[in-house]
Amino acid sequence: MAESKVLTEFYHLPEYQSLVGYKANGGYETLPKALKMQPQAIIDEVKASGLRGRGGAGFPTGMKWGFLPKNNEPRYLLCNADEGEPGTFKDRMMMERAPHQLIEGMIISGFAVGSNKGYIYVRGEYVFPIRCLEKAIKEAYDAGFLGKNILGSGFDFELDIYRGAGAYICGEETGMISSLEGLKGQPKLKPPFPAVQGYLRKPTIVNNVETLAAVTYIIRDGAQVYRKFGTEKSAGTKLFSVSGNVVKPGNYEVPLAYPLIDLIMKECGGMKPGRKLKAVIPGGSSAPVLNAEEVGKANLDYESLAGLGSMLGSGAVIVIDDSQCMVDMLGVLTHFYHHESCGQCTPCREGTGWLNKIVHSILEGRGRLQDIDLLIKVADNMKGKTICALSDAAALPVLSFVTKFRDEFEFYVREGRSKVKGTTYAEMHH
Amino acid sequence: MPKCTINGKEVEVKEGTSIIEAMQTSGDRIAHYCWHPGLSVAGVCRLCMVEIEGNPRVQIACNTMVTEGMKINNTSEKVRDAVKWGLDFHLINHPLDCPICDQAGECGLQDQYMEYGKYDPEMAEPKVKKHKVLDLGPTVVLDSERCILCSRCVRFTEEVSKTNELGIFNRGDHSEIGCSEGVQLDNKYSLNTVDICPVGALTSKDFRFRQRVWYLKDADTVCNGCSTGCNVKVYYNKEGFFRVKPVYNEKVNGHWMCDEGRDVYKFVNREKRLLKALVRSSGSAWTEMTAGAAAKSAGEKLRSQAGDSLALVLTAQYTVEEFEAIISTFVNEFKSKKIFFWVNNKETFDSFDGLLLRGDKNPNTKGLLKVLERYSITAPWSDLSAGLANGSIKTVVVAAPENTSVFPDYTEKVKELSKASQVIWIQSTQHEALMGLNGNIHLIPAKSFVEKDGTFVNFSGLEQKFKKVTTVVSEALTLTEVALLLAGKNLMMPNQTELLAPAAQRPDQVALEARKKNEFVFKRGSL
Repeated sequence: MAESKVLTEFYHLPEYQSLVGYKANGGYETLPKALKMQPQAIIDEVKASGLRGRGGAGFPTGMKWGFLPKNNEPRYLLCNADEGEPGTFKDRMMMERAPHQLIEGMIISGFAVGSNKGYIYVRGEYVFPIRCLEKAIKEAYDAGFLGKNILGSGFDFELDIYRGAGAYICGEETGMISSLEGLKGQPKLKPPFPAVQGYLRKPTIVNNVETLAAVTYIIRDGAQVYRKFGTEKSAGTKLFSVSGNVVKPGNYEVPLAYPLIDLIMKECGGMKPGRKLKAVIPGGSSAPVLNAEEVGKANLDYESLAGLGSMLGSGAVIVIDDSQCMVDMLGVLTHFYHHESCGQCTPCREGTGWLNKIVHSILEGRGRLQDIDLLIKVADNMKGKTICALSDAAALPVLSFVTKFRDEFEFYVREGRSKVKGTTYAEMHH
Repeated sequence: MPKCTINGKEVEVKEGTSIIEAMQTSGDRIAHYCWHPGLSVAGVCRLCMVEIEGNPRVQIACNTMVTEGMKINNTSEKVRDAVKWGLDFHLINHPLDCPICDQAGECGLQDQYMEYGKYDPEMAEPKVKKHKVLDLGPTVVLDSERCILCSRCVRFTEEVSKTNELGIFNRGDHSEIGCSEGVQLDNKYSLNTVDICPVGALTSKDFRFRQRVWYLKDADTVCNGCSTGCNVKVYYNKEGFFRVKPVYNEKVNGHWMCDEGRDVYKFVNREKRLLKALVRSSGSAWTEMTAGAAAKSAGEKLRSQAGDSLALVLTAQYTVEEFEAIISTFVNEFKSKKIFFWVNNKETFDSFDGLLLRGDKNPNTKGLLKVLERYSITAPWSDLSAGLANGSIKTVVVAAPENTSVFPDYTEKVKELSKASQVIWIQSTQHEALMGLNGNIHLIPAKSFVEKDGTFVNFSGLEQKFKKVTTVVSEALTLTEVALLLAGKNLMMPNQTELLAPAAQRPDQVALEARKKNEFVFKRGSL
């Protein structure tokens, strides 16, 4: 699929990390062109390209930019590189292999939305990517791509890195803004939306690393070229982080609407020998799981996955083979969401803990049959009731795991051990 | 002015009104914890759910503004279900310790659970353990397990007291309210956090474990702690007064009151009061008397020497009506215009902390000045000092302060005034400085501000009328009654008790006593 590589075309070149290598392969050539355009023209181009947020929600980027108030208030462009969704590791590779790609995308986007100040909010554990970015930002400043009067255009753009402290919730845009403001990383009540009142109560745009990087290519080639990938509603290419028991796990850039089964069987070389595909979580741990039959029908785009009751999310494809116990896996997920709930909204604060306790009761052999229905009831009542989507993110996997693999749960409750592995929780983990 | 429909009723509200505010005015009931009209919107309890036509998901009413033509409903099955589950989430880790919880009886969780609850708890897992009996500061104790993290107290210290002592620490279901390192919840408004706490997490050190709230009656009155005149509710029963809480008044105190004001009930209770009149003539011991008799005997002495040798000293701690009565008696009956205003803490009189607390620690300075002006009385204190020194003032009548603690010059003034050959001292509370006085003294017990009707005029000139709450010391007299008795007039109709059987022999008396003991049964009504 070499022809579909837009973002990752030169990722195999080690020198692409540096300014010299990036420039040698066409880097910073789009920037002068963009700076000569009208900002509104860039926004219109991005709108026309059909680019949707690559961080998880899939909100149309051009439309988001259009929400900015038309005034002269200072505004901010934030890059969300918190990448906390379990299973996702695409942004990390992008920042390590091509930090300048992100920087160029941010300068163009900053110019388009009229912002003179950008921050890249990187999760604290990403020590190496941060080092790459720091080096690249310094190079860009030295070369005059950042700072005052970029390339003589009169446009100023300052860029800084902010290291997160490892909270999943700081990947939610308003949580990230709170954290950046120095507050506790908790999502803010909406409205007002960040585009109206965000960082420091000023208009703010928050975009994912991949989204911002893609802007460069949309401006370089034009919206129509970008649109040749994917479908009407899901245009362009997307990076997918494939993990699990496949032969070649890793990041793959494919056009949207690429068949999920092809990604696993062709690109990744199929399942590890002797293993059978049982289920796939297609969009990061918050996305509802697909069983083997649904995997065959799924295309990697927003509509197809939504049609199957799941979502594209951040593009983290977690492949689950037939040796995995779904009850045990759900235990990992509920533990994660319980640990990461910020504790603001009651349904999420209490619900995530409750779900985790129920699943672990089952795992430790104390489960009751009614607990399985209780899991569904609790998860159902956590959905759509809170400030941010973490509550939904915790509820959706529970609902899909329990409904699609109910037999495994019932077996576990009755026998006190895993149907797949035949062992108890203690035996599985020691 | 957008019009909306709430549960089928058409309601018109001001631009920028949230649904929950609209529902407060339209009188529709809506469950909520974190929303408080005096604080910013947090939107975290997720209980004030409403269904808005055209929106598939239920929305929170506190952060949704009313728009033209909006159709709002919070009685549908969908909303009730959301609230039911919302309550269940609040309760799964909440201890079931209502029998020993101070909030029981006025608890948001209890009340709303009775109204919307799920009644069949499905939580079978162990509850989260958190800290108990945390000492937050000099006034407040925290029980973290009871806390539902509504963040009202945190927002109060951020937005109202602006002291920022409180915060929510940790994450998820192990979040806890607490003070920042090295800081205590110690500000002049700290007890408001206890009022706004919808559960029993924050309790007042002063009130906790002293009374169950259903044994208390309440009544509205005006705080007499300072010239702001906050509107308050006092809670009492036959054992006395137990606490004071603010009552909303947009023009005066909003939703809040200061911690100082919460102590005003303390000098109202019997332990601090002068229960009987005490009379002594120089050299002899104190004689107990009924207040009326003492006032009458003092009146005889006054009337025998009416004129400028009589002086009246007033503090601004009585009602306008009382000032009127006693000043008119002095001017018209005793023909004396030697009326003096005893001003406490002159230096801080005009200070104001920006929220509620004022340096003028009298509830009715404006009222007193008004009455003095009416009678064009302008005698300066120096006249009194001079008159006492040269002996031209022989008798002084003193309407002494109820709250002596805000009169730093109290002992000094007692000494100065006792130079007069005859002192008639009217005060509601006991004070050791008074007991040590020698000479011709009449100590007459006065009624406190909760025992009489009257009007206070606050710092801004706002007249606030209040009603009598109850009687604590039946013997005590109001200043009006003292004025009448001093002038030799009668207070009431001649005693007619001989027409009725003595109270103890009345057959209905037994039943009445029994009813009094169980008065909470009558008050509470069905749940």
